[in-house]
Amino acid sequence: MELPIQTPAATEANAADEQRLVAEVLAKDRKATADFVGRCSDWLYSFVRFRLTPRTEMVEDLMQETLLAAWQGLPNFRGDGSLRSWVLGIARHKVEEYYRRSIREMASPEEDSLTKAAETPMLEQQLDLAMRQERVHATLALLPEAYGLALLWRYRDGKSAREMAELTGKTEKAIERLLARARENFRRRWNDAR
Amino acid sequence: MPADFDFEFRSLFSQLKETSEEAADRAPSSLKARLYSALVRKQQENGRLASLDATVASGREICVFEKLVQIAPVGEKAKSPFFCEVCHARVLAENFDSPPIFWPHCPYVEFKGS
Repeated sequence: MELPIQTPAATEANAADEQRLVAEVLAKDRKATADFVGRCSDWLYSFVRFRLTPRTEMVEDLMQETLLAAWQGLPNFRGDGSLRSWVLGIARHKVEEYYRRSIREMASPEEDSLTKAAETPMLEQQLDLAMRQERVHATLALLPEAYGLALLWRYRDGKSAREMAELTGKTEKAIERLLARARENFRRRWNDAR
Repeated sequence: MPADFDFEFRSLFSQLKETSEEAADRAPSSLKARLYSALVRKQQENGRLASLDATVASGREICVFEKLVQIAPVGEKAKSPFFCEVCHARVLAENFDSPPIFWPHCPYVEFKGS
């Protein structure tokens, strides 16, 4: 997304405005708090929703957790960066924690062998971008949650299997198996929908 | 070949990233209302909110109902509770995205237009 270019003076004014807002929220001023929630909600909504789509039922809970954590952490906000970046940093952590928890809590799947479907070509190159996205989301929505999150983490966010293993406390091998099953499930459902 | 699978999925999911992240959707006003109520309740659990006098002194506007409390001859403590808790505007705003509430300077009304 292209961000509007700000002059140094405008940046300074924004920073001062944010510092004032933070001070008022810390003083528990209800109107300042409303202003804070109004600003943060729009930043958080796109951010969290994008990361949880197609399973968006947790968006509100994660936004609320983020806002409460932000409020509790406001005394540490130094204003070195923008309030938006700071709040989104907390949201990133909350979303990651949710991914970790969901994948960690998934019972280890049976040692079933992967089917031949895994080798079947899946993607139809001729699908246009919007249709593909819609179909990816629709297919993800049909998968067990941990499979969907594992695929998003690996292929949309670019996490390596090793990083995922470290974050979830599973072995790299277990993550690779999880990913293989997630891919197989995804592929099967994708092809079924044809 | 795992590498091919990786490539196939990476290509599919990276397209997801490029376009979806650009869509800066605004949060629904009812969601903002619920988040606001939750945060103020949390603030209250940790001690009194700033009094309405302090809010006015800082240059912020208050709604007509809050104004009635603010000008009443009562102590600071009586001007600190979260009065929206008992207001119909909050209930409507938390449940509808275009609630029929119109009081100037009500945060729930302002969420509607933000």
